[in-house]
Amino acid sequence: MKVIEIKNLTKIYNGSSVQVTAVDNVDLVIEEGEFTAIVGPSGSGKTTLLNMIGGLDSPTSGEIVVGNTNLATLNSKQLVDFRLHNIGFVFQAYNLIPVLTAGENISFIMEMQGKPKKMIAERTIEILKEVGLADREKSRPNQLSGGQQQRVAVARALASKPKFIIADEPTANLDTKSTENLLDIMEELNRRENITFIFSTHDQRVVNKARRIIVLEDGKIVKDEQKNV
Amino acid sequence: MIWSLSWKNIWRNKKRSFIVISAVTLGVVAGVFTAGLMKGWVDQRVEAAIYTEVSHIKIRNQDYLLNEEIKYTIPDQEKVVAELKNNPDVVAFSNRLKLTAMAASSRGNTALMLVGIDLNDEKKVSNVFEKMVPNAGTFFETDMGNPVVISDRTAEALRIKSYELSAEVLDSLAQSDIPKSVISKLEPIAGKKFITEKLFKKGLNTVLSKSEINKYGGAIRSAATHYRLRSKIVFTFTGTDGEMRYQTLKVCGIYKTTNAMFDQMNAFVLKNDIAPVAGFTSGENHEIGVILKEDVNARHFRDEMKGKFSGLNVMSWQDLAPDASMSSEYMNIYYYIIMGFILFALAFGIINTMLMAILERTKELGMLMAIGMNKKRVFRMIMLETIFLTMVGAIVGMILGYFVILITSHTGLDFSSVGEGFEAMGWSAMVYPEIELQFFIGVTILVIITGILSSIIPARKALSLKPIEAIRTE
Repeated sequence: MKVIEIKNLTKIYNGSSVQVTAVDNVDLVIEEGEFTAIVGPSGSGKTTLLNMIGGLDSPTSGEIVVGNTNLATLNSKQLVDFRLHNIGFVFQAYNLIPVLTAGENISFIMEMQGKPKKMIAERTIEILKEVGLADREKSRPNQLSGGQQQRVAVARALASKPKFIIADEPTANLDTKSTENLLDIMEELNRRENITFIFSTHDQRVVNKARRIIVLEDGKIVKDEQKNV
Repeated sequence: MIWSLSWKNIWRNKKRSFIVISAVTLGVVAGVFTAGLMKGWVDQRVEAAIYTEVSHIKIRNQDYLLNEEIKYTIPDQEKVVAELKNNPDVVAFSNRLKLTAMAASSRGNTALMLVGIDLNDEKKVSNVFEKMVPNAGTFFETDMGNPVVISDRTAEALRIKSYELSAEVLDSLAQSDIPKSVISKLEPIAGKKFITEKLFKKGLNTVLSKSEINKYGGAIRSAATHYRLRSKIVFTFTGTDGEMRYQTLKVCGIYKTTNAMFDQMNAFVLKNDIAPVAGFTSGENHEIGVILKEDVNARHFRDEMKGKFSGLNVMSWQDLAPDASMSSEYMNIYYYIIMGFILFALAFGIINTMLMAILERTKELGMLMAIGMNKKRVFRMIMLETIFLTMVGAIVGMILGYFVILITSHTGLDFSSVGEGFEAMGWSAMVYPEIELQFFIGVTILVIITGILSSIIPARKALSLKPIEAIRTE
């Protein structure tokens, strides 16, 4: 089943003197349950493509359809709401709220969704278990290692039960052990719960785990490879 | 969780929040204290206006107001008295004779109003009997014939008041808090008699330093004050027949209120001692002072009485003491204007702090907006943070302000160094601040409004962030 369908997607940034085409006429379909890595050199358009898929940036032309929703038809208010209910985000710098505990960082997003308190409490514990941090529910981000913080960020992205999770360079700040640990968790979630992950990465370890690798160069897809697992 | 998050956010930068909270605390303490001081002052003025000077209601002959002539007594007095007796709103009333007189002692003279009273009635209406200067006689509790109670000011004008640092006075000062070194400095002027306050002050200036006079001058002056009680004062006034009459009265007591003008103008005498001399034989009076129940509106009562007795001049305390009335009526507005100014000034600091907080959290706000926090929630979060920040300072400020008022309401605040000016206008130089719960509710509402208004600029700043750019901020 198609989760994301991208048609003729182009993003042009107008600088003071030059125009930069960050994404150039991209067509792409992401199916449910994919574990996809978007790779490419710096400036190839990976982050721009992910930002547009995540509804954080608007395309110059082309369209993005998530499920049955064409993102171009949504106004900014609807787009915020759409992100809240349909897309999970994992950032390179974890971006947890420092004054909230690990548990609160996760439950916060479900509260914004308006889910019942009892359900939020149960799901928070359940997700923390899934990312191996059941005993760190009450810990603040500054009491966690980088790897643990990124696992909380993954848990937060999962909490809203999104259609897919976008992870922008999720392992860039992690050591080898933490990276492997995080990738194992995400792979396990992908396999067991059929959660769709889309990464942008430079990290070969992520590429090695990915089952589909899309290579971008100068905003164009130059290679789209499915691994046989 | 927005509430909890907002609350936790204000403690991120403890030092910065502490500075803002301290500023709000100090501002609110200042506001509460100023309001308490004003309320205490105004309430004391209103209390003095009603229970010392003019009563709730004054009833007089209409013509008496135009020309305070002895002949303008209250018409239909029996009917008026019967009405007052039967009116359930009336607590007490006192009939008074009022004679414009010239008082003369062997050393001085002054013009004043000789107020003839019925002692028991007057005590129910006026509290002048409670304003007697300590050790300076009584309010007609005497066996002396033809007694008169005059004010401290009148005593000075008639030169029956003097100052002397006798051995006895120096002994009493030694028992007080005044240091012995100061008392020993008084030796050169001990035993000398000063006939005016000005001369006594001059004497003190020769032996004490300015700071010693400021600190102990009042106590020394008060201990050294001596009144020649039982002095004979001759009062000259016009009788009912238009002829000059004289009555010699003996000073039985000295009073002192907070209104210098009132003191200067009024001397009290028993009506029976003065009425026959003035030519009154049928219980005539010039004035009736009326005290009403607390919850009765004096203006309504005035209008009712006017309706019933068209020949009378009836005035409420608001008419007779417009300064007190106006201050009392507009007091609440003054409070909130003062508090409003303080909070307005503080708002700039609050806005600045919140803008800094937004700047520091740009990346986090970008993340929150990216994951789905809508503008309404962002605005609410910033607004709550600002309100919490302001409220913490305000609550601490209100508690501290309350305690400051609690303490000063017992000790009082002495403005006697500048008190003459106040007392000349009827305002006490000794102020006992007080505050009502209602004011704190008002302050809380003002603080919340300040918080909401102060949050608008920071919240707009936060809402103007674009998630995609904000997330990239380092």
